Amino acid sequence: MLSLSFSTFRDRWRLFAGAIVAVALGVALVQSSLLVMVSTDRAPVPPGASGRVREQIREGYAGAATLLGMTVMLSVFLTVFIVGSTFAFTVAQRRRDLALLRLVGGGRGQLVLLLLAEALLLGLAGTALGAAAGVPATWAQARLLIALGFLPDGFAPVLWDSGAAVASACVGIAVSLAGVLAASRRAAKVRPLDALRDTGASARVMTPMRWLSGVSGLALTVLMVALAQSAELLGAMMLALGISITGGVALSALSPLVVPLAGRALGVALRRSTLGEIAQANLRDGVRRSASTAAPLIVLVALLVGLAGTLGSLALMSGEEQRRLVRGDLVVESPGAAAERIAAVPGVAAASPEVTVPISVTARHHEEGRSWRRTHYSGIVAVDPPAYRRAHKVRLLAGSFDRLRGRTIALGPGMAAEGVRVGSTVTARVGGHAVRLKVVAAFVPTLENYSETFLVPRDVVPAPVRAGGEAQTVVRVAPGTEPAQVRERVRAAGLGRARTVAQWADARTAEQQRGNLGILAVLMGMAGGYAVVAVINAVVIAGTERRAEFAAARVAGMSRPQVVRAALVESWAVTAIGLVLGCAVAGGALSGMLAASLRGAGRPLVAVPWTLLAAVTVGAFAVTGATSVWTTFSATRPRPVTLLTTRE
Amino acid sequence: MTQLSGPPPARSAAFPIAAELRDVSRVHGSGSAMVRALDGVSLAFPAGSWTAVMGPSGSGKSTLLHCAAGLERVTGGQVFLAGQEITGAPDAVLTRLRRKKIGFVFQSFNLMGSLTAEQNVALPLKLAGVRVPRGDVRAVLEAVGLGDRLRHRPRELSGGQQQRVAIARAMVTRPAVLFADEPTGALDSASARTVLSLLRRMVDEEGQAIAMVTHDPAAAARADTVVFLSDGRLVDRLDRPTAAQVAERLARLEAAPC
Repeated sequence: MLSLSFSTFRDRWRLFAGAIVAVALGVALVQSSLLVMVSTDRAPVPPGASGRVREQIREGYAGAATLLGMTVMLSVFLTVFIVGSTFAFTVAQRRRDLALLRLVGGGRGQLVLLLLAEALLLGLAGTALGAAAGVPATWAQARLLIALGFLPDGFAPVLWDSGAAVASACVGIAVSLAGVLAASRRAAKVRPLDALRDTGASARVMTPMRWLSGVSGLALTVLMVALAQSAELLGAMMLALGISITGGVALSALSPLVVPLAGRALGVALRRSTLGEIAQANLRDGVRRSASTAAPLIVLVALLVGLAGTLGSLALMSGEEQRRLVRGDLVVESPGAAAERIAAVPGVAAASPEVTVPISVTARHHEEGRSWRRTHYSGIVAVDPPAYRRAHKVRLLAGSFDRLRGRTIALGPGMAAEGVRVGSTVTARVGGHAVRLKVVAAFVPTLENYSETFLVPRDVVPAPVRAGGEAQTVVRVAPGTEPAQVRERVRAAGLGRARTVAQWADARTAEQQRGNLGILAVLMGMAGGYAVVAVINAVVIAGTERRAEFAAARVAGMSRPQVVRAALVESWAVTAIGLVLGCAVAGGALSGMLAASLRGAGRPLVAVPWTLLAAVTVGAFAVTGATSVWTTFSATRPRPVTLLTTRE
Repeated sequence: MTQLSGPPPARSAAFPIAAELRDVSRVHGSGSAMVRALDGVSLAFPAGSWTAVMGPSGSGKSTLLHCAAGLERVTGGQVFLAGQEITGAPDAVLTRLRRKKIGFVFQSFNLMGSLTAEQNVALPLKLAGVRVPRGDVRAVLEAVGLGDRLRHRPRELSGGQQQRVAIARAMVTRPAVLFADEPTGALDSASARTVLSLLRRMVDEEGQAIAMVTHDPAAAARADTVVFLSDGRLVDRLDRPTAAQVAERLARLEAAPC
């Protein structure tokens, strides 16, 4: 059986090439992610680093671990998907061969074994390639995580670990075997009689499983879109993520139904030329082929545009929120020492200096019956409470902002969900002295990721310590004074950089956006890589499958360039359909964000990632076009007569 | 040429009737779309005898062959193969029978494109879990005149050669009955003659039972008996036929109003 698998494998390597690349990619990613995790474990925080640096490095490691975990899960899932669809394809294509095996005495179990053995070979080949690619992948991944700020500069990953190599090899083989399971079940259902039928009723494309997952996924998606119209912002965001995933999966499962339907709509444009007409007929006829090209595109566009749009919209809304929370004309960023002098600048009516100070706060956290102490270093801000109150819209969950004076502390927006209780006492270490502070107020959380964690009255922090911090000062200008004038004076006095509240909020938004997009870029870039493999795979398999069909078209009078063009038109039409359907899902996802922003802010705050969408569109057309032309060219290389007369 | 496959026949003694249909009917579809592909057909394929099945297109020839080989379930009647009733046999039993008792030869050769001639011939034995002595496989291929093509893939062989590989594959398990569906349909006349002589020799020298569906009167004339089907019924029978007789009967059947 293994020798039969081996000769099939050797004979049909082109069919398996995409799946091998997918497995190799998966193995390389799993291996590199494990190695980076092992390295963060082995690279301890440098001795002598300050508490704040330690906290930053630890948080970076935690962020990196989360990202790596998601990477591993996503790549395993996508690899199973690609291996599965490759084998589904080969089983459909090799129906006659499989039936023939049954005819000469092959049992059902033997057919399953045959496919498992092929998957094993594929897994081994992919694993070998992946293990080799894992070394550069680890290096590249570490560089990327450093660039994203998750890992400290100069972080050097371990490039080889036998444990990680064994684990990723196991993943590679397990993933290949898992991918083949569904296909091998289908292969076992091939009847020996199918070998005798020339056309052979090919397997139904819409299997019951496909119907079930497609229809239930679609129902769930529609329900979520409906719910999102009246959901709160965070609810709308979670729903948008859900819609992107279930909608993409549902439409790709239903693609054998949806793609020909969309093809009919596109047909009006295509039918004007003969080649277009042929392409459109093929689109309707080759359902499995069109669907398997469109499916990965639908999922990719839905996820990419849906997620990027959701996160972008969230950033827009958090910028809007910041703008509304600040009551002032200008925001000045300066060293802590300079902040106190801003109030004295002519034309300034009121100034609220807020200094991020290098102190630590140790607090007791309570959550679900557990309680622990933790020391915080970042986001601790010293404020002048009365000035702060005038310069901000203070929204509290609990306590009273008026009591923020003397030895007290308030929980900032970033600490709202951390389980520190109002009324408890925390310990602050200020310049080497321990100070006990009573928690008197807790702010409502904001949409921002890295907000203030604690606010302390500035008297708690001695002036020299405050002078070493970084300040932002909200300024209100005196009536009759132009904000631009004050801005110029602040600059001239060398006090710091002054911006309007709108500019400042936009900058904060942009920063948020950058962080989000960085993470998104890593995950989606990877998903995009897999989608490219899946699409190329589908186009290549479909092209080689159609040698006889192309030959018949040429005998009927089409020239080779015409055959190539017709195939190109067809695959571009499928690409367009995949992109449009993916955008439809993303649109559903963003509709909830639109509704939430209209309700919350009174104006639409939706970030449609146009650049990304344009890049994906151009990339998709380029990839499917190039692959289609290449496969059609190589499938039409032999003279048509030889293809029409030989069977095997 | 030497004998086809190893020791001389024990087959004719073991199963005097290699395959038999008793009052078999096969209905496709239902209601107004109902088609009676076979309608009360009784026919035996004895050992050491070559039976050709003829008839106009759509007369049920192929269905008859499929039912006799257990590839299609019958709607009514009984089917026997190598002394065993297979009418409602489960898949595992049919699989075992296909390994040991049945050989198939088709118009379109149906060889595995990725395997060499030698591997194709050894395949049924390997599937049955039998260790295959290389010498045996080689002997069978030599018997069909392909001793020098062992390592060739099907695409490197001519149609006639491919069909001879298919026959070698069918014979390697020493089946009780060989089912042939238009075995010469895709061959030129010289290759067709070679293949038919090969089949004739298997019947005469080894007592092989052959059931063959064909359109070609010349091919049918090499058989011991020709039966004619029309609209799913057996309508005529010729023993020791000549090509001219067969052609004349067939022409009459095809001309008859349905």
